[in-house]
Amino acid sequence: MTSLIPILTLLVFLPLCGSLLTFAVRRSDNAVRGVALAFSLAELALSLLPLMLSGQKAAGAPAGFFLYQDAAWIERFGIRYTLGMDGISAVMVLLTAFITLIAVLSAWGVKERCGLFFSLLLALQGAVQGLFLSLDLFLFYLFWEAMLIPMLLLIGVWGTGRPVYSTIKFFLYTFVGSLLMLVAIIALYLMHGAQTASYTFALPELVRTNIPHDIGLWLFAAFLLSFAIKFPLFPLHTWQPDAYCDAPVAGTLMLGSLLSKTAAYGLIRIAFPLFPEASRALTPLIYVVAVLGIGYFAWIAFAQRDMKRMLAYSSVSHMGFVALGIAAWSPVAVSGALLQMVNHAITTGALFLVVGMLEERADSRDLSRYGGTWGKIPLFSFFFLVFNMASAGVPGLNNFVSELIILVGTFRVAPLAAAIAFLGTILTLVYTVRLVQEVLFGKEKKPLELKDLSPREAGMLAVMALVVVYLGVHPGPVLDLFKTPLEVLLAK
Amino acid sequence: MTISDLYTIMPIVITAGAALFVLLCGPMLLSASLTAIGVTASAAAGLWAALGTPASTQAVSGLCFTPLARFLIPVFCFAAAVTLLLSHSYNERRGIKGEEFPATVLFALFALCVLPCATNMLILFLALESVSFAFYILVSMDLNRAESGEAGLKYLLMGAVAAAFTAFGFALLFTGSGTLQLSGALARPDNRAIISAGWGVILVGMAFKLSLVPGHLWTPDVYQGAPAPVSAFLSTSSKVAAAALLLILLALFPPMPELRVPLAALSVLSMVLGNLAALLQQNIKRMLAYSSVAHMGYLSLALLSGSRDGYAAVLLYGAVYTAMNLAAFGAISSLSIDEERELVTDYAGLGFTAPLRGGVLALAMISLAGIPPTAGFIGKFFIFYSAIKGGSIALAIIGILSAAASAYFYLRVVAQLYMHRSQAPAPRAVSLAEGLALCLASAMILVIGVYPGPLLKAIDTALQ
Repeated sequence: MTSLIPILTLLVFLPLCGSLLTFAVRRSDNAVRGVALAFSLAELALSLLPLMLSGQKAAGAPAGFFLYQDAAWIERFGIRYTLGMDGISAVMVLLTAFITLIAVLSAWGVKERCGLFFSLLLALQGAVQGLFLSLDLFLFYLFWEAMLIPMLLLIGVWGTGRPVYSTIKFFLYTFVGSLLMLVAIIALYLMHGAQTASYTFALPELVRTNIPHDIGLWLFAAFLLSFAIKFPLFPLHTWQPDAYCDAPVAGTLMLGSLLSKTAAYGLIRIAFPLFPEASRALTPLIYVVAVLGIGYFAWIAFAQRDMKRMLAYSSVSHMGFVALGIAAWSPVAVSGALLQMVNHAITTGALFLVVGMLEERADSRDLSRYGGTWGKIPLFSFFFLVFNMASAGVPGLNNFVSELIILVGTFRVAPLAAAIAFLGTILTLVYTVRLVQEVLFGKEKKPLELKDLSPREAGMLAVMALVVVYLGVHPGPVLDLFKTPLEVLLAK
Repeated sequence: MTISDLYTIMPIVITAGAALFVLLCGPMLLSASLTAIGVTASAAAGLWAALGTPASTQAVSGLCFTPLARFLIPVFCFAAAVTLLLSHSYNERRGIKGEEFPATVLFALFALCVLPCATNMLILFLALESVSFAFYILVSMDLNRAESGEAGLKYLLMGAVAAAFTAFGFALLFTGSGTLQLSGALARPDNRAIISAGWGVILVGMAFKLSLVPGHLWTPDVYQGAPAPVSAFLSTSSKVAAAALLLILLALFPPMPELRVPLAALSVLSMVLGNLAALLQQNIKRMLAYSSVAHMGYLSLALLSGSRDGYAAVLLYGAVYTAMNLAAFGAISSLSIDEERELVTDYAGLGFTAPLRGGVLALAMISLAGIPPTAGFIGKFFIFYSAIKGGSIALAIIGILSAAASAYFYLRVVAQLYMHRSQAPAPRAVSLAEGLALCLASAMILVIGVYPGPLLKAIDTALQ
């Protein structure tokens, strides 16, 4: 069956077809929403399909990949259209499909240029899916850059505050990083070609390149810079609060839940395996920025009165754990990092959603405007509490598991970093508790008319809450999926 | 000369014939039919060249249908056809009347078709200067605007200086090699000094033509003053022609090491200063002019590598740049109302009020910035690939960083088109010809961006 239906190509191009179709029917808002929903549901169904195949091996595929597709594309440079899916990609693809579905549902109320909005959302999904599946470095880079334009427009056209400023800042930051990565990619390609006389961008081939230590450091630094900007890691984060805050809710969701994961994925799939020595050499640096990030951003989040800004900082703070796990580069730590990527996407995404719902109702993100919602809008408050608890790392909910795994995994290699990161979690608790306390139980300064959740909103949040609980009590199946691919990746 | 010889240089015959026909019969015919004749002739010439097989012998003395011509003539014909399609309604709006316009475009195209066919230095020079001559006229064609005449004069003066340098360079090459025939003109070692002097002088002339810093000073004024369709044609074909001339000469007089430093300096200065100056422009045509300076800087970076890859990158970038700038200036031309929209802010909100043209302009900007999946990315990739392969890593990094900075001013246009509430006055409905031209150029951008394989293959055959 897998050989008959090109599932991977469908995964990438189904959203793109959806994107074109939503644009074609843009005259009618209802048709647009219908098409967008249908395509995102279809994508979700399609991304569940490969999970049944895990454990098999696709013909011609590198070790660990159970779906594989390969075709010549630009022969002059040996560029191939190679898509492959192993356990890691499968989870990321499923996550992307899930988050996009939520984003489509969350954007139900978009009135202005609805057709273009959903069209860009689906185009962005296609690019992210392509990125998670590509095994050719050129193809990866193409998808990496192709994400920029839809995101640029999503923030710029539908954003609030200073959207043009924020979106151009976001764009320029990421663009500078990725161009330097392009230089590194070309250099690596030429080096590999000179050594083996086969000029190719295929990742499994490039991994075998002999790279002199000093050159490797420069190349790795270029990759690291590009990924660290999108991540974002400590000193390169200044675009992030602006972009997250000024983006429309669905845009923030895509940006915070998915685009940051593409950077982490890039580190795990590409940068570390390609440059084992250089990444070892620069690991202390990554530890430092990761640990600094966890603590520093939690501290800054505490100082925010704008809830979306607070969440933006909270989001980078949690991403610090992902960086920590990757830096440790042991099977336990990296699988923790991968799980944290999933958990972060869902928890932070849900938090951005609930804050967006609150803003929709009262037109303000200012923390001090709210209070006492627990009695007034109980359903909303319940979900608000659940996701905040998950974010704070309460046992039984998802973030606890992944952060614990990361800390345990890291502690074996770098006890000091793990210990400091652990202290960072306490800071997380501080701002989360304050957020919950003020919004849910504090005293309202000026009474607000608030409506409780609509069935659509409640449904979205309920599904996300179920996932949060499921991953909190039973993360085994997901962790199992990471096992084989990590064995392959960490073998080098 | 036999009939089959004539067949091989048919594109030249077609374009020359069409130019003369339009000029002679123009007064009797409707202007729409003149445009139609011009477009048909360009399309026919382009297709003829693309489908023909390169000849190994000269068709007439001094002309031979070379593999390079087989690649370049369709590119030139594409540019001319798009220009003619764009200019028809533009000229109507602007009151530019008469058969001179299509006839001059066709005459320029004729000279452009001759250039890659030349086997003789004199023909090469004559073709290059005929191209410029046609452009002097085209630039100053808008009699109602003083800027147009001013631009024409400025271009003429600068162009004449450049022509003098180029002619002197050819004279030195002739002295050094003892023949005007390009095929026999391999450098004799004892004349090396004269030949490299010739090269240096030609480089100065070409720096003017390609608008490489410091020969770029005319560019912003001319692009701004010329009618937009002419800027579209000028910014693409004349650059590609100059690059082609350098390629032809480089193939015969192998690159001299002493040329490396000047060319590298021209390239770096153009990339850096072009992009920096473009950052400051409020006028979209001036911005595109400085961006063109920067893009020619990238192009000379590939020339510098002196390898087959580098030359292939030059040809690819020529084709890619043609598509991008035709789309950009085409959209500007078609969006113009009674006046041209000069400032970037004049485009506010047009992405929604004129979706096709706004979209094409945005696509052109994205492509010029080099973002996938557009042709601009493939072009930049090839350029920087050949530069790194040629060992100029430092130059490539300078180029790439300046390209990163350039994203800002391209995106500013996109931001104006889509992200600003203030509405610029809506343009007239897009005419069929303009729509066709814009769709052709954007299709080119996207197709090369997604599937450049066939084009790359064509380029490799062109360089044999």
